[in-house]
Amino acid sequence: MNKSINTFFALSLMLIFSACSSVQITEEAVSDQSVAGVSITSKSTATQAVLANAVVYFDYDQFNLTSKSIQALKGVSDLMKRNQKITISVEGHADERGTREYNLALGQRRAESVANYLIANGVKRNRLITKSYGEERPLSLGSNDTAWSKNRRVEIK
Amino acid sequence: MKKNFLLFTLLIAPMLSYGELFLEVTKGSEEQYRVAMIPFEGNARVSKQLNNIMRNDLIRTGEFSILDEELLLPVKIIDDELIYSDWKLLGMDYLVTGTIIKANNSIDINYEIYDVHKKRKVRSSKVFGIPNQIRQLAHYTSDGIYESITGIKGIAATRLLYVNEIKDSQRISTYKLMLADSDGANEKTLLSSSEPIISPSWSPDGKRVAYVSFETGMAKVFIQEIASGKREAVLSKDTQISSPSWSPDGKYLSLTLYQDGNAEIYILRLRDRTLTRMTNQFAIDTESTWSPKGNKILFTSGRSGSPQIYELDLRKLNPKAKRVSFEGTYNAKASYLPNEEGIIFVHRSGNGLFHIALKYKRENFIRILTEAKMDESPSVAPNGNMVIYGIKEENLSLLAGFSLSGAKFKLPASKGEVREPAWSNFLR
Repeated sequence: MNKSINTFFALSLMLIFSACSSVQITEEAVSDQSVAGVSITSKSTATQAVLANAVVYFDYDQFNLTSKSIQALKGVSDLMKRNQKITISVEGHADERGTREYNLALGQRRAESVANYLIANGVKRNRLITKSYGEERPLSLGSNDTAWSKNRRVEIK
Repeated sequence: MKKNFLLFTLLIAPMLSYGELFLEVTKGSEEQYRVAMIPFEGNARVSKQLNNIMRNDLIRTGEFSILDEELLLPVKIIDDELIYSDWKLLGMDYLVTGTIIKANNSIDINYEIYDVHKKRKVRSSKVFGIPNQIRQLAHYTSDGIYESITGIKGIAATRLLYVNEIKDSQRISTYKLMLADSDGANEKTLLSSSEPIISPSWSPDGKRVAYVSFETGMAKVFIQEIASGKREAVLSKDTQISSPSWSPDGKYLSLTLYQDGNAEIYILRLRDRTLTRMTNQFAIDTESTWSPKGNKILFTSGRSGSPQIYELDLRKLNPKAKRVSFEGTYNAKASYLPNEEGIIFVHRSGNGLFHIALKYKRENFIRILTEAKMDESPSVAPNGNMVIYGIKEENLSLLAGFSLSGAKFKLPASKGEVREPAWSNFLR
């Protein structure tokens, strides 16, 4: 973390209002506006050499699993049962339509749907981390149905 | 006293210096105050700079038409009395004059406002600061002019927060939390990160900001002091935390916590970091915002099967959420107007496009205020007269705004994309 610190001068604001033959008379000092910028570099999360990578897709505004997704998730749960040491991150995403915070919550619902399926199929909860990136990490950058359908997804890593 | 005036298109970009958002006023209101602004006497360079900034500030409100500089007449004063007849002939409602006193370490601006119709001086004011505060001095003066003429507090001296995303040639993004003057100038970086930043929110005193950063690999809410850069995560919980909104008294943050995997709204007391749970619902609950008096919160919930806006009355014990949006199947990210007479929010229209909408309490219909495709994140200026929001043009996000009197403006990014604007409170 790189921090530069500026001194913050006390804000001095003076307002004098007086009624002088209905002329408004004021006097004010502008306030100080120091800004210290911060720059952070995040360690890229090391991707473990896991065989459990999978992506499942969702319908617009939906978080229920499609039959196609269930096929993909069967593979993941089988693999996790065979390799008891694997922990996975279940990461939900949304397309760009709608508000960012609602999409963050929607992405989380999608991640939870996937997690719940895996748990129902014998994977222990403590081997899963669910999270959401909402619409912040699109796979496809376009603003059309094809791009959107690719972006409504859960990535298992 | 407003005069008819044709709609106009004006590009103010060349007046702003490099590396700033630029302002493009695309439409003015039809009824405007006509003002002659005499370039302030004193330092010519400072005078020109002040004049440009103040003109932009006043034009952007949509309520002012400023007389072209070439059409200005000399100010005639006979026996200490201003001669008003010339200005009346030019169709002016007000005349503004001023002087600049620049010393090594200080700048004083004295300005006067004259009412041409009533033939009298209505204001005589002084603003002062140090030489690197010319922009601020100009904004303070604009606000003084605005207030004297309209009777409403001005917003030129307020500031904007927004998120800037810049992609490099390998499509790797840098996310920045930015701070700028209300005209998009004087842009400063508060935070720069390789991970997404969303949902910026001002503290009511304008000294701190709250936002969501994904720097730890998961959404977390941080508070940062603008002047020092000092920042901290508000909770050390190992769960997603998002959607911060500062209470008007500065003592609380409302937040969305994902403790049970589902988005629920909590109120965090900042003094001792105690949490109070406000919603308990199987559906998504998020995007909480406080009412101006601090006794209610609005939020978005999916409990009816589609996102809709609900209100909680915090004065009640165990308040029950009251649904306040009924039109259409997507209404979200609502906030109150400063006078609490209505709410502004994102609405999905029948054609699937997202627009900014306004619903007044006293009306039983909504007003659609914008017309692009993906309009989002509306933020209302503290005087309630302007709204800034995010739009997409050719796949790029930029900011757009409008005044309730009909002026429209755009603030494209100087680099990359900009989104999620948040308007500060009054700062003077």
